[in-house]
Amino acid sequence: MDSLGSELSKYLLLAWLLPLIGFAVEVLGGYWGNRQDKRAAYLAIACIGAGFLLSSFTFYRWGTETHWQAFAGSVSESGHASVADPSGSDGHEKPDAAHHPHKAAGTETTHGTPGHSETAGAHDDAAHHSPGPSYSGTFYTLATFGSLTLSIDYYIDSLTILMFCMVTLIATCIHIFAVGYMSDELTDEYVDHSAHTSDGHHVHRPGRFHRFFAFLSLFCFSMLGIVLAGNIFQVFVFWELVGISSFLLIGFYTERKSANVAANKAFIVNRVGDFGFIIGLMILWTYCGTFSFGDQDLNGHEQPGLFSMIRGSDGEITTVGDDVILKTVGHNGHWEAPHEGESNRTLPYFLLVIAGLGVFGGCVGKSAQFPLQTWLPDAMEGPTPVSALVHSATMVAAGVYLAARFYPVFTTEVLLTIAYIGCITLFIAATIAVVATDIKRVLAYSTISQLGYMMLAIGLGGWAAGLFHLITHAFFKSLMFLCSGSVIHGCHHEQEMTKMGGLRHKMPITAYTMLIGVIAISGLAIPGSAALIGFPIAFSGFHSKDAIVATALAYTSLNPIHFLLFLTPLVTAGITAFYMFRLWFYTFTGKPRDEHIYSHCHESPAVMCMPLVVLALFAAGCAFGGENGPLYHMIGNSEPLGVASGVEAGGAAGVALPSHHAIHEVHGTAGVVALLAAGLGTIVAFLLYCRPVVDPESIKRQFSGVHGFLVEKWQFDNLYDVAFVRPSHIVGRWCATFDKEVLDGILHSTARTAIWIGTIDRKFDETIVDGLVNVVGNVTRSVGMSLTVFQTGRIRQYVMFIAISVVALFALLFAFMPKA
Amino acid sequence: MDAVSLNYVLAIGAVLFVCGVICMTTKRNGIGILMGVELVLNGANLNFVAFSRYTSLGLDGQVVSLFVIVLAAAEAAVALAIALNFYNNHLTIDVDRGDELHG
Amino acid sequence: MDLIFLSVLIFMPTAGALVLAVLFNSKAVEPMRVFTVVVTAITFLMTLQLWMNFDPGVSGIQPEANGVSVEWIGTWNIHYRLGYDGISLPLVVLTSFISMLAALASWSINKLHKGYFVLFLLLETGMLGVFLALDFFLFYVFWEVMLLPMYFLIGVWGGPRREYAAIKFFLYTLAGSVLMLIAMLMFYFGSGGEFSILKLSAIGQGRVPGVQFDEFTQITAFILLFIGFAIKVPCFPFHTWLPDAHVEAPTPISMILAGVLLKMGGYGILRIAFPICPVGAQYGAYCLVAIGVISIIYGAFAALAQTDFKRMVAYSSVSHMGYVILGMAVWAVAQDGNIVVTSGRDYWLMGMNGAMFQMIAHGISSAGMFFMVGVIYDRVHHRDLNQFGGLFALMPLYSGLAAGIFFAGLGLPGLCGFIGEVFVVLSTWNFSPVLAIVAASGVILTAGYILWTLQRVYLGAEYKGPHADEITPMNAREATIGVTLLFMAIVLGVYPALMFDVMNGSMAELVDGMDAGLRAAQQSGASITMTPTP
Repeated sequence: MDSLGSELSKYLLLAWLLPLIGFAVEVLGGYWGNRQDKRAAYLAIACIGAGFLLSSFTFYRWGTETHWQAFAGSVSESGHASVADPSGSDGHEKPDAAHHPHKAAGTETTHGTPGHSETAGAHDDAAHHSPGPSYSGTFYTLATFGSLTLSIDYYIDSLTILMFCMVTLIATCIHIFAVGYMSDELTDEYVDHSAHTSDGHHVHRPGRFHRFFAFLSLFCFSMLGIVLAGNIFQVFVFWELVGISSFLLIGFYTERKSANVAANKAFIVNRVGDFGFIIGLMILWTYCGTFSFGDQDLNGHEQPGLFSMIRGSDGEITTVGDDVILKTVGHNGHWEAPHEGESNRTLPYFLLVIAGLGVFGGCVGKSAQFPLQTWLPDAMEGPTPVSALVHSATMVAAGVYLAARFYPVFTTEVLLTIAYIGCITLFIAATIAVVATDIKRVLAYSTISQLGYMMLAIGLGGWAAGLFHLITHAFFKSLMFLCSGSVIHGCHHEQEMTKMGGLRHKMPITAYTMLIGVIAISGLAIPGSAALIGFPIAFSGFHSKDAIVATALAYTSLNPIHFLLFLTPLVTAGITAFYMFRLWFYTFTGKPRDEHIYSHCHESPAVMCMPLVVLALFAAGCAFGGENGPLYHMIGNSEPLGVASGVEAGGAAGVALPSHHAIHEVHGTAGVVALLAAGLGTIVAFLLYCRPVVDPESIKRQFSGVHGFLVEKWQFDNLYDVAFVRPSHIVGRWCATFDKEVLDGILHSTARTAIWIGTIDRKFDETIVDGLVNVVGNVTRSVGMSLTVFQTGRIRQYVMFIAISVVALFALLFAFMPKA
Repeated sequence: MDAVSLNYVLAIGAVLFVCGVICMTTKRNGIGILMGVELVLNGANLNFVAFSRYTSLGLDGQVVSLFVIVLAAAEAAVALAIALNFYNNHLTIDVDRGDELHG
Repeated sequence: MDLIFLSVLIFMPTAGALVLAVLFNSKAVEPMRVFTVVVTAITFLMTLQLWMNFDPGVSGIQPEANGVSVEWIGTWNIHYRLGYDGISLPLVVLTSFISMLAALASWSINKLHKGYFVLFLLLETGMLGVFLALDFFLFYVFWEVMLLPMYFLIGVWGGPRREYAAIKFFLYTLAGSVLMLIAMLMFYFGSGGEFSILKLSAIGQGRVPGVQFDEFTQITAFILLFIGFAIKVPCFPFHTWLPDAHVEAPTPISMILAGVLLKMGGYGILRIAFPICPVGAQYGAYCLVAIGVISIIYGAFAALAQTDFKRMVAYSSVSHMGYVILGMAVWAVAQDGNIVVTSGRDYWLMGMNGAMFQMIAHGISSAGMFFMVGVIYDRVHHRDLNQFGGLFALMPLYSGLAAGIFFAGLGLPGLCGFIGEVFVVLSTWNFSPVLAIVAASGVILTAGYILWTLQRVYLGAEYKGPHADEITPMNAREATIGVTLLFMAIVLGVYPALMFDVMNGSMAELVDGMDAGLRAAQQSGASITMTPTP
């Protein structure tokens, strides 16, 4: 089967690199000599479209080679399905293939064998679940240091292929939409009404149509790189690259200060998350010595990947004392801890927790989770197709994708943290969305909130539920963003909902595709339809949110102390329905609030409406069949070992994770309460905004304190400004001043001291050394001068001196000469 | 002859010498000083000759005194020439007037 | 033959300088410019030839194991000894590459052209000599040869405070050289009259029977050498000459200063301080790592506060070179029986390689950043970050290239800065988790100051400063330089194996040699105590 892996990797490699080629050509090609030229867009669409076709072909090849075994469903077909399904369905989807989860597609990297079901607990049929095959390999090596290797790898399983199809499909739709949306830029003189020069005029500049598509292509390349990545280091590489693509796209209107600030904020806040990511990388790298997800074949000797090393073949973390024993003994995909006495690699348990939290920190940044959620609403400064592609469907979901991909490395403590972070996020964001009036900002907060749901699900052990929601959300949220883009385009770049209203008469396609998205995200379904016709009549969001709420309910029944993890998402489901319908009613129903805008408003051209329709189809139907549908089965095929059977209470956090079986048992209840909450939210929105029985303004006035707090986004921006941004500028100034005053001060005072010593030296020379010499001279001179008295010039005196001297000498001679 | 001993001769030489020195220190006249010099020289000559006679010095003392006499003649010539020049410059031979070398 | 080739390579620019000085009319500016570019280009091609001849399978010195040499001052056992290995070769190529581009960027020099180009070429000889010399004395001579032209290039052709900056630069570097001189003499007398770096390394690593530098010598000499080289790197707190020198130096000289001269510090540590004094290196490891981390954070904070464009880039150099010191020094040890040995050799090797790669990467990105500053300075004659803005609309090509180069400095994957930084940081945890975390926090600050600078200079509605009418798009010459630098940044970022293949062998030999040196020193009585480090 290795050959299948390398075959698939070739298709995906091509699908991955095509946008890069597109980017390179577009960057080098400039604006093709003519600002009216649309060739850049066609090239970008061709690249990403071909990527979609290749992804689909990969999907097809993968399916046929594995005999579509993944769709047999290895989870819900376990015989308990009829008990649990809220809609009364008992799994009509291909029941024939149900009980053969391990028969096909065995590869060297396939985890799980029937033998392990005994150890996992015979009470639960879900333990029979074994993940589908995954394929991993290397494209090329970056560097090798002794036993350490860093390379560009691939890791392909059903999730990879699914994500590839999802990303390329949505990206293609959005590229096509953008041709219409960005057509304003097809000019030599674009007037930017949101950017002003200092003398108050609008900024005039050449159109940048081509550049927009170049950046989109770069983003697609980076995003696909994350999905295809075979090691966590490679994820980090493309993590940064999507970050910079996002930076470039948010700041696309470079003339607008708000856009630049938002772009910077997005990148820097993401870097805060990446700081944690790097810490996680460092720990794993130091203790595991590899970044690879899958097992590697290094010149004939096999090395377990991270997942195998930490979880081994039984899906359990083995600890001795405070250390985790890494599972390095084994081969062919079966890895076990070394026996007593054998040399082993260990990893302190608390470091594994920190590593998990660190990597999750990266996810928090990218997926705009609390406390790093502030950048995403500001990122709406980018053109709307960017918001749809980057800031709702794909890039921000990459955080969730990574959290899911890295699930085997997370300990229960980390999972609990993830759950609470997701829970806080989904609530905060939903409350802010209730008061937002900018159509894109409502959607942005809704995105944050939905990402919170996904994180929550993953933290609760609902691995597949979280990813299920990721996929459905990608479709309905990109749909809604494109609809809002269509509205904005139609209303000539007006984004305030307070100036809209009644637009469904003017733009019906937009309005009703948007309604599909709104219903999907609200999770509405027709009650009782499941019982009547065998499956629920509901759009995709119902199924995925339902799965999350069910997981939360099962979790809370296992861990009653964490009841908030169920109540909050349930309440928020109601809030979600409320603010989404508020948006729709506000925009599309009622009377026009601004006649000028209304009268100039028009439905978008076909090139923009087509993608809406396509995405609406997927938003409605992609989750067809719910947890017995093909989508969920395909996700479940990649589920890590041990998720299905749940986890017994243990660890420092003392939490237990529900098994699939437990989740199924509460599915019915969860579905009903979630539907009730959503219905309630919808009705409230209807009563407030469509057929007003209460004036929303009066509520706003009555709760002006709360309203102001929410409008100020819970004060996070102000808090961060005070707590981080300003202090770092102050520290920066300190450092600069320290350099100037202290270090240079020391230097300058050293120099001054040297000069001062020089001056002293000069004084010493001038006064003491020279003075001494002068004194000698002066004394000699003055002695000479005093002796001039005797130099009379008179010969008689001289003779007299001579005579006296001679006499004196003789006298002395005789006086002192010893007598002989 | 033997009654005249060496000491007497030396005493005369000393008297001559001291007379010469006193002459040199007291005379302001240049020629007077010259005469004092002659007295000093001849006092010394008398000593040479006396030692030559009374000791084993032999002829050496007499030769030296002859030598001194010749030297004195030459010296006198030079000194007189100086005196003439001095007179030309100062219109006197009072040596106290020639104190240009004083310090 | 090899000796002649290497000598010709080193003295090629000197010959060019002589020809320039004798044959050219000092009014003929254009021919002099072209001639200088041609000479540097020929030198570059010769270094490429060296690269081709290099055998990555040989970890030691090439072309011969002990280098090629002739006796120079026999009385004192001084040789003219040249050679290269995986550590020096990339730097040699970098030197000639950056020199070529700097010569091409020298069109902005507007006075005393002849003197400038002569000194420029002499400077290149000095730099190449430092990287190729294998005799400590020769190394020292080239080190000083490089110093003087630099002094005049800053002092004569610099900005308003050029005298101050030139003297500061000169005195600082000279202070470093003096410390190096002391260490050199310590080695000379300690080894019984030896100047060959290779022999001294062998002695330091206990590979020569009968002679060994004792613990005291090694530690003292290491401290002296380290301070000497750290001034050049420069790391905190010896860095204050750098912003002044950069700000005052003309653009091409800033490129060389940042691109090549700073690397001499790192190279000196790898070539001299580490191999000769393994005990000293282990003794100072924690301190070195701490200095590296402080430089990273401190430089980044200081860069954040600057309002002068060039000064900001200069502080970013301090920050980036911190990774070099950090990566080299992550030599973790563990108790093994009764001696202390290397623990996690591969991580240290990775750190060393990362540091070396960071030197190359920084050589390209910082030279590029200084060039980008120079391009705009030539047009508007100011560098106040608060008086730019909107250049994206006025100079699209320039802004695009500049963004690419600055992203390389930011450490964006796919560009050269990323590989060095992330490899160094990843290897640090094995040495010290606390310092690793602090070092990793640098990514936030780096993003902060680079993006903020980009925003203030290139983005925005309009240009806010003086001389707005003189802003013209890049000319072909400038574009060539920018594109070449960005191209290299991408190549190294995407295919780092290009460098690692060359340097890995020599680095592994250095790492193993130092480990052996540490063991040998302990066997002969040195007591290394392992202090637990957070």
